[in-house]
Amino acid sequence: MIEIRDLTKRFGDFTAVDGLSLSIGTGEFFGLLGPNGAGKTTTISMISTVLLPTSGEILVDGQVLDRKASAQKRKLSVITQEYSMRQDMTMDEVMEYQGRLYYLPKSVIREKSTELLEFAGLAEFRKRTVRHLSGGMKRKLMICRALLIEPEILLLDEPTAGMDALSRRQMWNLLRQLNERKMTIILTTHYIDEAQALCDRVALINRGKLQKMDTPDALIKELGAFAVDETSENGLVSKYFKDRAEAIEYLSAAGPMASFRATTLEDVFVDCAGRKIT
Amino acid sequence: MGIVTVLWEKWVEFRRDFYKITVAAMISPLMYLIIFGLGIQTTSHGEPYLHFLVPGIVSMATMTGSFSAIAQNMSVQRLYEKALDQVMVSPTPLWQFILGQIIGGSLRGLYAGGVILLLTIPIRTDLVFNGLSVFIMFLNGTVFSTIALVLSFLAKSYTDAPRYTAYIITPMSFLCNTFFSTDQMPAGFRQVISFLPLSQTSAMIRSIANGQPAGAFGFIILFAYLIVFGVISVVFIYKKKNL
Repeated sequence: MIEIRDLTKRFGDFTAVDGLSLSIGTGEFFGLLGPNGAGKTTTISMISTVLLPTSGEILVDGQVLDRKASAQKRKLSVITQEYSMRQDMTMDEVMEYQGRLYYLPKSVIREKSTELLEFAGLAEFRKRTVRHLSGGMKRKLMICRALLIEPEILLLDEPTAGMDALSRRQMWNLLRQLNERKMTIILTTHYIDEAQALCDRVALINRGKLQKMDTPDALIKELGAFAVDETSENGLVSKYFKDRAEAIEYLSAAGPMASFRATTLEDVFVDCAGRKIT
Repeated sequence: MGIVTVLWEKWVEFRRDFYKITVAAMISPLMYLIIFGLGIQTTSHGEPYLHFLVPGIVSMATMTGSFSAIAQNMSVQRLYEKALDQVMVSPTPLWQFILGQIIGGSLRGLYAGGVILLLTIPIRTDLVFNGLSVFIMFLNGTVFSTIALVLSFLAKSYTDAPRYTAYIITPMSFLCNTFFSTDQMPAGFRQVISFLPLSQTSAMIRSIANGQPAGAFGFIILFAYLIVFGVISVVFIYKKKNL
């Protein structure tokens, strides 16, 4: 279990994360959503101890997580937004370096690397250096690297950014499989449909502050499960209704350009972020 | 264990860039040897100038080899490749990572110094290089590796590494008892120079090369630098909030 208590991170005068408190259960698939600059990556960087908080603390299974906490860090693996790898290493070397950093025996590193690289369709490129890989291949390699150590907690910062639709779906299936094996997953993403499809719970943050946190269904119900879109002078405007009959009644009264649909998590996100930004 | 992992990573890098590393280690010292030692033939303290120059060049090579191996590599890993994040999140104790970097950097310095020693064999200088010389070269490498680590943790951009070389390594190369004796320098300046690690390394290796004892003061200075910068680099990696 991960518990974040009153976490704050300042960079000079700028507060990236502001008193964030939340807890994530073992085996939970948790989404961290927010607009650009909301503090998602900073939060992930603090959980992975790359950044240290200005104040507050993070606990993993009741123990404070810091750079000295080797036992807690052993449970963690991270897939960062940027390609954080030695550019001159081959895929095999990247995997071996990771295995060595986590004290895996060489035979296990070799066996698991082969298995993962084959699964990701990278086996034939294993002698190629990172700088000669495409963006998608680098992303897949980072996933293989993170999974090599069989972490209990997987931190994913925009893992499908830049992936094509097919690769994204393959990634979703992989993450579901991992989560079914009781792996705790913390995901930040710009793709709200991704969070809605995968996450048990999501936290919406904006300007470093927690705005809402619940299951996607509960957040949708809170806003109103039914939406009517209409085109006005201000562009597309959506109205949300908790009651279906009420939404249909509104639709009948609206002009011919209005349309009815089910509310999505993206509506919750836009409503929450839009209200706070403007 | 973490130390072995870092040394493995350094070995991978060394094996891959063997020719580049070797040529880079040779070019400048070789030029100095040819120009000042063989081209401008002169004497120093009644001895052929080469006898003075070779220990200084070997010391300088260990300094530049160690410093550049760490400063450039760590700055790029931290700021450009973000590969340091992989280490930070891993359970490998960070002090072991630091120690591995220091030893790895020092071995690169030792290699650079060793290459110069090999190149001077045909010159037949009859200078003495023994186990203690090698230890001093290694110690000098550890000092400049730790300095490089601290500077690379302070760097704001990966292009800062060449600037550090220009600000620190180049002046030390020329002033610290490498090409000329500091005896003729003004008293205050000479005192300052004598407290710099390269001055002591050059002096100790030169003494041994001439069959004399190395003296304890040099070791004290080198260990003092090693401890101070080693502690700073460990504090940085554990406590620096935005590494």
